[in-house]
Amino acid sequence: MVMKKFINDPANLTAELLEGLVITNGDTVKLEQEKLVCRVEEKPQDKVAVVTLGGAGHEPALSGFVGKGMLDISVVGDIFAAPGPVEVLEALKKVDRPAGTLLVILNHAGDVLSGTMALEMAEAEGLKNIQSVNTHEDIAPGADAPVEDRRGLVGCIPLIKVAGAAAERGWSLDEVTRVANKFNDQMATLAVALRGATHPSNGMVISELGDDEMEIGMGQHGEAGTGRGKMLPCDETVEKMLLPLVEAVKAKSGDQVLLLVNGSGATTLMEMFIVARSAKKFLEGRGITLAVCKAGEYLTVQETAGFQLLLAKVDDEILDLWNDPCKTPTWCW
Amino acid sequence: MKEIRLEALLERFRKAFQKIREQVETLTKLDAATGDGDHGVTMVRIVDKAEAAMDAKGFTDFPALFKAMGMGAMSAGGGSAGPLMGQFFLGLAQGLPENPDAMDTAAVAKFFEAGHAGMFKFSKANVGDRTMMDALKPAVDALQASAAAGEDVETALQKAAAAATEGARATEQMLAKFGRARNLGDRVLGSADPGATSWSFLFQGLTDND
Repeated sequence: MVMKKFINDPANLTAELLEGLVITNGDTVKLEQEKLVCRVEEKPQDKVAVVTLGGAGHEPALSGFVGKGMLDISVVGDIFAAPGPVEVLEALKKVDRPAGTLLVILNHAGDVLSGTMALEMAEAEGLKNIQSVNTHEDIAPGADAPVEDRRGLVGCIPLIKVAGAAAERGWSLDEVTRVANKFNDQMATLAVALRGATHPSNGMVISELGDDEMEIGMGQHGEAGTGRGKMLPCDETVEKMLLPLVEAVKAKSGDQVLLLVNGSGATTLMEMFIVARSAKKFLEGRGITLAVCKAGEYLTVQETAGFQLLLAKVDDEILDLWNDPCKTPTWCW
Repeated sequence: MKEIRLEALLERFRKAFQKIREQVETLTKLDAATGDGDHGVTMVRIVDKAEAAMDAKGFTDFPALFKAMGMGAMSAGGGSAGPLMGQFFLGLAQGLPENPDAMDTAAVAKFFEAGHAGMFKFSKANVGDRTMMDALKPAVDALQASAAAGEDVETALQKAAAAATEGARATEQMLAKFGRARNLGDRVLGSADPGATSWSFLFQGLTDND
């Protein structure tokens, strides 16, 4: 079967997409050692470095957020596969500095494995001042489910924005980690999918849904969620998702929240805007202030139709950091 | 055979690596049933990297050799198999025999147990979870049982291969607790875990059978 994607040899997907990222954003990012997406203008050594790792195929995540105010290095794996610990260790060595490094790890088995091994190897090699944050804000298995069962979804990106701003301001590693943990503890995400995608390396169907079905809680590789049901209008879908999200972050009347509508790859901006409108209506009906609301594609899963809804309770410190300038291929303000 | 030289044992690793290359299609088919179909190709990349390290380092400095094999395996890409196998090789370096020229069955068992411990440090999987551990752990247990029973090295390796093969076969009836196969629920039943099957091939390759 011919895969209907604009690609060449599937073996070269990651290399070719990274080449394209640099061609289109050469003023901001460069590629080193094949798999490390780095800043063109390096951050001064007296500021904390922020590094993350993850598989390719989710563009613009994660490498599209390398640049001033966000990431120093994104360590890229193959399609939907974590990079190896050796590559992560290379990145940690590259940014090694007295100010320290924050490693952001999304809770997926391969990422955690590589991140944990790299941290241990870094320690064995005498690298100091490295801390890590593990994101696990998916509440599909339940907000109270064990942390290891809760996946890291799009929430790592605003977390990196906030922690990256703190690092850019020159905050200490402890302070950068503190604010990252604070954001981590106050965010929750749910995904919904209407139609799965094909794996771009081998053409395999990642998940299948009936013509009139949607699935709430699907993971970012099409992993089965918890709620498969009939299609609903947008307002009802968003309400079904926001009810548990609001409860998970314990947002109540008078609170301020940040909301991201993250398109999964084949959801139109038209739909994302309508989702954002539904969300605002729902939240304001509960007296919750939508302090930040963004809609767009941040972490995609090929041509999956659907979106991830991220809700985070925020305070003035987080909002202040959020509003700090950043210059990356994807976010720039 | 009462004893084996570490060098000779390492030469058998080449045979084990070759076994993986010969069985790549089997592994690909197993993984296509329960994963994304890349396990066979990934395993070949891992053993190629480990063998390249053997070729480059030679057998003069064993700790450096195992570190190079481990780092090579870990940089093979393609998910968690490489990093975990890499930790197995790094672990082997912790179990090097006092006398590399005369490893008895106890020394061989200690050597492989150190590799298993290296991997277990990072893999949270136990026997029954449908992972590589389902073949590796029974094989190591078999080596230790042979050592306790005073059996010779060749018998011990044969029994380890049989235990790994049986362990891999048993995964046909297990639900996955790790990896993408976990999301398939009972759809994995009837098909063996590709990672466990790889370890059964490796242990088969370590025996002197052809």
